[in-house]
Amino acid sequence: MFSSLFLTGLFFLFFGALLPLLSVRSGRYVRTATLGFTAVAAVLLLVSSAGVFTGDVQEEIASYNVSNALSFSFALDRLSSFFIIVISVVSFCVAIYSAGYIEHGGGNAKRNILAGLMNVFIASMVLVVASTNTFSFLFFWEIMSLASFFLVMYDYEKKETRKAGIFYFIMTQLSTVFLMVGFLALYQVNGSFNIEAMGSASQLMTTAIFLSLLTGFCIKAGVIPFHKWLPYAHAASPSNISALMSGVMIKVAVYGLMRFVLYVLGPVDWWGILILVLGTISAIFGIIYALKEHDIKRLLAYSSIENIGTILIGFGLYIIFQAHNLPAIAYLGLAGSLFHVLNHGVFKSLLFMATGSIVNATDTRDLEGMGGLIKKMPYTAALFLIGSLSISALPPLNGFVSEYMLFAAFFSSNTLGDPMLTILLVLCLSVFALTSAFVATCFVKAYGIMFLGLPRTDACANAKEAKKPMILGPAILAALCILLGVFSPALLSASGYGTLPVPDLMLVGSFLLATYAIIWAALYHSYPNKTRVGATWDCGTPLSSRTQYTASGFSQPIMRMFKATYKTKEIPERTFYDKQNSLFRSGEAKVTLLKFFEEYLYMPVGKKVMSLSIRVSRMQNWNLDTYIAYAFVAVLLVLVYVGWLI
Amino acid sequence: MNIDANYVAYAFLNTAFIILISPLFMGVAKIVKAQAQGRIGPPLLQPYYNLLKLAQKERVYSNKSSAITKITPYINITIMIVASLGIPLAFAPENSGGLGNIILLLYLLAMGRFFMAAAGLDAGSTFGGMGSSREMSISSIIEPITIIVFAALAFTLNTMDMHQMFQTAAQEMSFLNPALILVSIPLFIVLIVETARVPVDNPETHLELTMIHETMLLEYAGRDLALMELSHAIKQTMLMAILINILVPWGYAREFTAPAVIIGMLLFLAKGIILATFIGLTESSMAKMRLFALPNLFIIAFFLSMLTILLEVFR
Repeated sequence: MFSSLFLTGLFFLFFGALLPLLSVRSGRYVRTATLGFTAVAAVLLLVSSAGVFTGDVQEEIASYNVSNALSFSFALDRLSSFFIIVISVVSFCVAIYSAGYIEHGGGNAKRNILAGLMNVFIASMVLVVASTNTFSFLFFWEIMSLASFFLVMYDYEKKETRKAGIFYFIMTQLSTVFLMVGFLALYQVNGSFNIEAMGSASQLMTTAIFLSLLTGFCIKAGVIPFHKWLPYAHAASPSNISALMSGVMIKVAVYGLMRFVLYVLGPVDWWGILILVLGTISAIFGIIYALKEHDIKRLLAYSSIENIGTILIGFGLYIIFQAHNLPAIAYLGLAGSLFHVLNHGVFKSLLFMATGSIVNATDTRDLEGMGGLIKKMPYTAALFLIGSLSISALPPLNGFVSEYMLFAAFFSSNTLGDPMLTILLVLCLSVFALTSAFVATCFVKAYGIMFLGLPRTDACANAKEAKKPMILGPAILAALCILLGVFSPALLSASGYGTLPVPDLMLVGSFLLATYAIIWAALYHSYPNKTRVGATWDCGTPLSSRTQYTASGFSQPIMRMFKATYKTKEIPERTFYDKQNSLFRSGEAKVTLLKFFEEYLYMPVGKKVMSLSIRVSRMQNWNLDTYIAYAFVAVLLVLVYVGWLI
Repeated sequence: MNIDANYVAYAFLNTAFIILISPLFMGVAKIVKAQAQGRIGPPLLQPYYNLLKLAQKERVYSNKSSAITKITPYINITIMIVASLGIPLAFAPENSGGLGNIILLLYLLAMGRFFMAAAGLDAGSTFGGMGSSREMSISSIIEPITIIVFAALAFTLNTMDMHQMFQTAAQEMSFLNPALILVSIPLFIVLIVETARVPVDNPETHLELTMIHETMLLEYAGRDLALMELSHAIKQTMLMAILINILVPWGYAREFTAPAVIIGMLLFLAKGIILATFIGLTESSMAKMRLFALPNLFIIAFFLSMLTILLEVFR
């Protein structure tokens, strides 16, 4: 029953992909129909995967043999169905949103291809998660990478987009290389491509496979230091695609990591420590970089890096506590991690979509060119506010629940019985706390600068509210932010985590609502309710958009305190009339940010690869004699290897 | 989670008590500072008069501001009242109502801060923006210390629930526990930072050097300002209560009877006045620190709280 629903959903996606590609030049109705297919498919996939998830059953879907050893085969279990729930919820809302969004910019052909490829992209993500062997996993992984590459390249006319696309393409291929190495090594051990518990292998082999797969998945998930593609690609792609990539695609990599570590390799405790430390580093640096950013889409992209870090922290905690035989606390970590996968999918897609509406309306991604939008786009402003509150983990919204579970797991670290490990966890805890405080700062900045105050440009002063579908899509997610938070106790017990000690947010929410209502009602009636509208206090200088605080100004204190992390250079150049440097003549001051990872990691590696390939390319000298010599040596080597010469 | 009659009684008493006494502690600190400077200072009940006066005045909104400015005072006071349910001042019912969780408490406070900082940016004035920026920066870098302090408390008292922490502290009379004495120093620094006092901020002024908390409220008038000031006072009392009820829990009501509760309340009032005097003296004896010198203070607090953790881990 669930498998037939699942296959029907996939067929809808398939036809949705085919329809616009067959009639590329046709008009709007084709695209709308396609997105309708996507939405229907998402509902079908959601129903089938929710059925599998709550029923806790193993559901075989289908298997197609390609050759003797290679086959595509799919099945759903609890882990994969959970990730398909995330994919389908986000895809549904993105499909609705796209019906409005897609009509901006580009011609008919481009818009149709965007709608069609989006279906390919969603289908490939679903199939990666549902794969039961490494062959079909890698196959659809590549389809997913290619589809997303083309989607990132939507605005290929822009130089920035081309750079982002190529960067993304190279990184994603690098990730595939690591995965392929890991999968082939697994094949060596297991003798089959099935994703199943690994047979006996030497410790070295297991470690090597783990590290290779970890690197591969970390590149795709955008874990620091492999994160550099993420801000480029997310900023360059259309906003509905950013929502899918950030909300869902990077989670597919998390799924891969969880699947292979838990079900195939069998974790060891130092893996947990490694994942925890990687997660902590990603979380703190992700948000530190997000704070300085004033391109709103890049800010959101860096914040995605932070959230992937948070997810990894939970997963690392699970492995550590499980290795120390503390399953109750371990499940707190795992549940927190998985719930954060869902939550991040919900609020980050919401934020990306709301941002897309704003970028369409104001024609800029720069925070310094926005402001005052709450008056022009009240619905979008309300949606973005809910997303910001949720991502800042404020109760009673959903972000709080997952972060709370991680905090609770951290707070139990004194039960580990290993002092050094406890101290490591406490240090990670303090960094995690700093991270979550920075998230609030970052989103106060984003919200305040975008929506409050005075408009900073004319485009912004004349902005129009987004079209209905572009409000409806994110509105569903905003409702989910509230519902997933308030009904978290019921949801957790429905998914079998009912025993976890999580504060009852339903209660907190109703207390907040009741208190607010009482105070409001009491004050409304008992005191003189006079109000007056006046001008903002401006010390006599007329207020203008230039006098208010800017995004860079807002984050300046933190940038200064964390100077070492940003590698900022403040260059004040001043000339004076006199030798004592007291009569100021002229001057210029600037702050430059060092692109640390690019300059110290990516470029050196790139240069090494470049020089190596130049050396290799010297072997190709366009000379027939040389090539015959190569062929001869090759034949000789083969003969030696086979043993015919000796 | 079930709410029984005891809890309802507790909720009303605790809320009424904290609203009533919070302005008093503000007044005490003010008088102490005035005396230290050789002035007489305002009457003890001046904060109450101020609140009453403000409540009767009309509210003025900027023509540039939006709904955020209007809802923030209500949201702030709501959050403080709900959060204060998690901090039983003088007596704790058996049933903590699930609101006593310290992480929940911290994030409720963070929510109030989020709205306050947003409201600071709302009117488009430089003052408000500067206040929000500094407030968010400072509260961000104090956050790791707050968490470590609470983790140390959770390790020592073996619970994450504020009600149970206070009960355990009252039962064991653990004021001689070195971990708790050590952790009270960073807790005091957190209190100073969160309540915007010297050396971090100066509650008396909104001059350029101290533009943190007060500047965010610059655009508020009348009843809204009264609500904001009251919520700030409640926040201060909550943080004071954590320090008092863990370090010196003498007289904390162990059972829910009228005499015990009254004694508990009176003793809390006395201890609160002493602590407020101490806060006033600390403020008078220190100069305001430069904004960018603050991380040094925070590192001291971080070091001390980490030391507590080490003490607990290796015990």
